Amino acid sequence: MPYFFNTPEDRRAMLDAIGVARVDDLFDDIPAEIKLQRPLEVPPALSEVELERHMKQLSARNTAASESLCFLGGGSYDHFVPAVVDHIASRGEYYTSYTPYQAEASQGNLQVFFEYQTLISELTGLDVANSSLYDGGSAACEAVLMALASQPKRRRVVVAGSVHPEYREIIETYLINLDAELVTVSALDGGVSGDELAAAIDVETACVLVQQPNFFGALEDVDEIARQTHEAGAALIVAVDPISLGLLKRPGDYGADIVVAEGQSLGIPMQYGGPYLGIMACRETFIRKMPGRITGATVDRSGGRCFVLTLQTREQHIRRQKATSNICTNQGLMALRAAVYLAAMGPQGMRETAELCLQKSRYAADRLTENDRFELAFDRRTFKEFVVRDRQGRVTSLLDEAARQGVFAGVALGRWYPELDDCFLVAVTEKRTKADIDRWAECLANSEVGASAVHA
Amino acid sequence: MRNQQATQLLFELSRPGRRAARMPACDVPKADLGELLPEQHRAKRPLPLPELAEPDIVRHFTNLSTLNMSVDTHFYPLGSCTMKYNPKRNERLASLAGIAGLHPYQPDATVQGMLQLLYELERMLGEIAGLEAVSLQPAAGAHGELTALMVAAAYFRELGQQRTKVLVPDSAHGTNPASAAMAGFDVVTVKSTATGYVDQADLVDKLDEHVAVFMITNPSTLGMFERRIGPIAEAVHAKGGLIYLDGANMNAILGITRPGDFGADMMHYNPHKTFSGPHGGGGPGAGPIAVTAALAPYLPGPRIYRDEDGAFSLVDAGPRSIGRVRSFFGNVGVLVRAYCYILTHGPDGLRQIAENAVLNANYVLSQLKDVVDVPQGERCMHEFVASAARLKAEKGVSAMDVAKRLLDFGFHAPTVYFPLIVPEALMIEPTETESKETLDEFVAALRQVLDEQVDTLKEAPHTTMCSRPNEVQAARQPVVSWS
Repeated sequence: MPYFFNTPEDRRAMLDAIGVARVDDLFDDIPAEIKLQRPLEVPPALSEVELERHMKQLSARNTAASESLCFLGGGSYDHFVPAVVDHIASRGEYYTSYTPYQAEASQGNLQVFFEYQTLISELTGLDVANSSLYDGGSAACEAVLMALASQPKRRRVVVAGSVHPEYREIIETYLINLDAELVTVSALDGGVSGDELAAAIDVETACVLVQQPNFFGALEDVDEIARQTHEAGAALIVAVDPISLGLLKRPGDYGADIVVAEGQSLGIPMQYGGPYLGIMACRETFIRKMPGRITGATVDRSGGRCFVLTLQTREQHIRRQKATSNICTNQGLMALRAAVYLAAMGPQGMRETAELCLQKSRYAADRLTENDRFELAFDRRTFKEFVVRDRQGRVTSLLDEAARQGVFAGVALGRWYPELDDCFLVAVTEKRTKADIDRWAECLANSEVGASAVHA
Repeated sequence: MRNQQATQLLFELSRPGRRAARMPACDVPKADLGELLPEQHRAKRPLPLPELAEPDIVRHFTNLSTLNMSVDTHFYPLGSCTMKYNPKRNERLASLAGIAGLHPYQPDATVQGMLQLLYELERMLGEIAGLEAVSLQPAAGAHGELTALMVAAAYFRELGQQRTKVLVPDSAHGTNPASAAMAGFDVVTVKSTATGYVDQADLVDKLDEHVAVFMITNPSTLGMFERRIGPIAEAVHAKGGLIYLDGANMNAILGITRPGDFGADMMHYNPHKTFSGPHGGGGPGAGPIAVTAALAPYLPGPRIYRDEDGAFSLVDAGPRSIGRVRSFFGNVGVLVRAYCYILTHGPDGLRQIAENAVLNANYVLSQLKDVVDVPQGERCMHEFVASAARLKAEKGVSAMDVAKRLLDFGFHAPTVYFPLIVPEALMIEPTETESKETLDEFVAALRQVLDEQVDTLKEAPHTTMCSRPNEVQAARQPVVSWS
């Protein structure tokens, strides 16, 4: 085995020092009747050459969206990742270290987390950020739990139907065992209805969760939602696309109390859904209810600036069942990637990226709807994603046919919204060129003559 | 030699007008911004992010990295965390475009290789666990605990049983009780004996028809195998409860014994520990869970399905599933590395992991037992817990002082003050990927430290860029961002 050191001589010397005859004797505590009497039934060991061959064979049975024309979105995006991000994140000092329990041996990570927190505060316009959570969906759920914990007498959670359906499913999964009521406000025309939302928010409401831009890529009237939410004394949680903040108003500037985000857009590969980055920021009043690791600045014995994990009395290793959450780690390496990404982009890079997404998605929408088969499903302002209706209603065969031609043309919406089973969601990032978009539009427009469409 | 610029913050290095990444010019006809985006939604000013040139960024983060200890640079015997070597081939293979470049919503037909990999990994983890069904979705060990407890809650709900309690030993990881509370259960603590085993009288006393789950870490957090796991599981099952195995310490028993064979109904893995997915400075990890056939219908979705022709698809988990616990499929990048690790070892290699991990830990214990107290005795599994209580009483030197001083010798510190039931705990886990020479050097360093002057220890570390950060000040007046 490639990673063991112990030679037969080493083993002999170590066993002698321990005072046992055989390695098996070290497992004497395990009763014989529960010992496995056969080898594990897993495939035989592979050398590095064989493993690489095997993995390349598996890899060849996939078509990577990143190497094709990717118009897929819905929370995971084909944004550009500058080389500096990969370079820094591939340093063993970062990826082979662990949670900075010993601050003196972890100042690199701790300073990175402090910088990450600051960057997230700057991005969202909120006072404090934690050192990250698992992903956008569980971060949204943790935000809801935090809001419930902050106002224990209020047990109602109001969620817009235009929030990512998977985020809503996670919240439903978590809340079923807890004393809380989940109310979903429908979003029939591509955004939450102001009147319905107002009707759903009452004095029992702990929080309101909306997404901006929402799952359909459209902009919600967040100013009005913030007003309604605060009037009822509830907390406003907003899930954002970090890339959109190169152009859109920051949530802290329109009254969000807690912001969560999927941080994948900030320099993290799509890698079939994870690991990603759960971003969370909030107003200072929530800080002692926050889940996850928080890094703070302090001074050391000689008065020099340094960084530590702080407010640990919130956490499970000290508070056990009374902790604010069971979360025990952060997504350190992903937070590092986001920090390097934001440092590389700076204010201008973020602005340029956001503007390219906006302009190109508008061009794509115009270009596709030149064909009568397609129309925009909703009359709403969008940022980088939009929903297209296929008037022929053959979304699955349309998208499958495009994929066969190396064009990942969009995400079908029927699985989450049965009423939108003739619609698909399209994302256009800064990486798509005019030629890419033209090819995508032509591929979809020509699909009606494709064999599969006829058979569908 | 240290570059002082490294510890300046990005925000202090920032100068107006500097920049790194530049986006290409817009190549589509530009629409008027005001028309696309009404003023109501537009930011009034640019984001207040730092402005840096690319060389600035590289030098900053590269120099900062040198302020970390890591497995690639140091022996890292952090007990309970299994800080083993992270194979470089796994990094390369997880980065293949056909792996890292997949979007989670690609049609199944375009990700057959990925689905095959994940399907095979599920089977391997089921076999290693001795349990029937696996979900790869949870994002971390604690997330796996929570998911499994939600599965248990759904199971008992369907049975119509009002089971409100989860029993947790006092030696357990803090995540156990925290996860139980998040799943809506009341937590009842079960005592341990002085040598770290479950106090069976106390367990039996607390077992009743309202207990849903007994969570046990085996090998325990003290690095001991619970010899009476059979009778314990029988007692819990007799009352209709379930056994949850915290799989944090699977490294000690790979191929030797299987949780399903000693009575566990459900468990989680920590692939970032047992299967070498790097720890990433705190994450990402993953937390796959394995359960019995009876619990399989409640696992979160989506599930991977293989049809008769060998084609794979993601399918809905069905009406009895607890639902989703995470967006998309899971921490696939970490799972891919675990898959590579298992394939690299094969059946014999997996067993040898456990053998060498246990051999190394026992060797270190044998070399230290005359100078430190080890309440659990002379043997251990993959780790052991020494107590500095006597040192504290005699010289006023704490476990933390010892830990800090070890940093000066170029060793990462053991885990300190955990488990909670051992006073002044120093938890040492060498892992299988260390040599006898490294272990000997660590032993020599620790023996020397225990002999040193009190002042030297109290003021340690002496060689790191900072020493003894003021944690009280950090918590009283939190400064969590630069301004």
